[in-house]
Amino acid sequence: MKRTLPLTIVLGCGIFMLIAFFVPVRWFQDASQTLQTWYLGVIAFFVFIGIFNLVRINVLKIQHKRRDWQFSIFLLIFLAGMLLAGFIGGPDGTVFLYLFQHFQIPLSATMFSLLAFFVASAAFRAFRARNPEATLLLIAAVLVMIGRVPIGVWIWKGFPSLVEWIMSVPNTAAKRGIIFGIDLGLISMALRVILGIERSYMGGKD
Amino acid sequence: MHFFDRIAKIDRRIIFLLIGLAVIIPLIAPLGLPVDITAPVKSVYDRIEAMPEGSIVVVSIDYDPGSEAELYPATLAFLDHCFRKNHKVYMMGLWAPGITLGNIAFQEIAPKYNKEYGIDYINVGYKPGGAVMLLTLGRNVADVVATDYQGLPIDSFPLGRMVKNSRDMDLVMTFSAGDPGILHWIIYFNARFGTPIAGATTAISAPRQYPYLSSGQLLGLLGGLKGAAEYETLVGRVDRATAGMDSQSIAHVVIVLFIIMGNIILVWEHRRKK
Repeated sequence: MKRTLPLTIVLGCGIFMLIAFFVPVRWFQDASQTLQTWYLGVIAFFVFIGIFNLVRINVLKIQHKRRDWQFSIFLLIFLAGMLLAGFIGGPDGTVFLYLFQHFQIPLSATMFSLLAFFVASAAFRAFRARNPEATLLLIAAVLVMIGRVPIGVWIWKGFPSLVEWIMSVPNTAAKRGIIFGIDLGLISMALRVILGIERSYMGGKD
Repeated sequence: MHFFDRIAKIDRRIIFLLIGLAVIIPLIAPLGLPVDITAPVKSVYDRIEAMPEGSIVVVSIDYDPGSEAELYPATLAFLDHCFRKNHKVYMMGLWAPGITLGNIAFQEIAPKYNKEYGIDYINVGYKPGGAVMLLTLGRNVADVVATDYQGLPIDSFPLGRMVKNSRDMDLVMTFSAGDPGILHWIIYFNARFGTPIAGATTAISAPRQYPYLSSGQLLGLLGGLKGAAEYETLVGRVDRATAGMDSQSIAHVVIVLFIIMGNIILVWEHRRKK
């Protein structure tokens, strides 16, 4: 029962939604719409579950003095601070906007900006033409890197057209192949979940 | 120690320093390199120019502060263009932090054109649910949007009353840093309801969208900071993206020089082994 009930619900809802996509009958469409609205209500709970889980994990980390537990204190203080600022002042509140513009934006942007330095270091150490395929990849990468910035136009007026060709033809062809592969895999996985063959979402042992 | 041995073992902090200088120096002493316009960006611009005054543009802010450097300048340039053409902007977001970024953009652009909240633009807030939310939104907006981002009833605003379903949306412009984002709009909104979709993405995500550009499912694309700079050039707004192009140009040249140096060392090491 513990496993049969969820599998039955998944099978029923999955087949119903699949049929509803193709059947233009009013009753089917209304029922499908109702299920989707219920789904949106359930999704909203996940935000609270996420916050609750984050707090629980960090409180346990502080209690048991695990590695870097001191950072968890800062995390909880700032989490509480942003929540209070948002609840009291609203989304346009002075304190909330100040914390967002002067803490969250610069800190998040800084984390992503660090990638530029590591990419440069990786480019020097790892971007080597060790075989014909790597050489082709390297040439394409260099052409796109130079052609996609204004200095490429300054060097040679034909650079942007060449880069657009690389993006529109070989890149598009390769990406299309990858997208088809991924989508076929997704269809296969969806069928496995609906038919109960794939049960990892239930957790626990099979 | 041979010169190439020294270069091969170079401390990476020197590489970091060179990249830092490559970015900072052009910001202090701009080169003024001209920004060329590419077809995917021009398509977005031409669509906004061609739409009749009063058209409703849905702007979806699907990024967080981490991608703010690339996508916020594009957001500003796009909103500037929409308001200049007197289009109405219906903002929402698939990412929660995007809503605050969108509001900050409104505060910067809307007063310049004397636009009024609720009449010329509105922010309906963060909408979770991804694909299911978009399918529901296109069918009946009221099932997804009951209030604006402040919690006020959506029907209390004239613009809120105008948008009932996908047929009331003339264009969707999504500023997307990942998932959910531009692909969701293309797959679940354009494919189902036929509403034209245009997008702005980070540079790393831009190549992934080209199949959809090619098939016509995506009307146009602003890729990375370059795309934002192109749009700024088209709308006549010299701002952060244009200013950043000189730095990006020099930084790319420096990285390419590192790649060339690394491969010269590879060739030298092969010859030494022989």
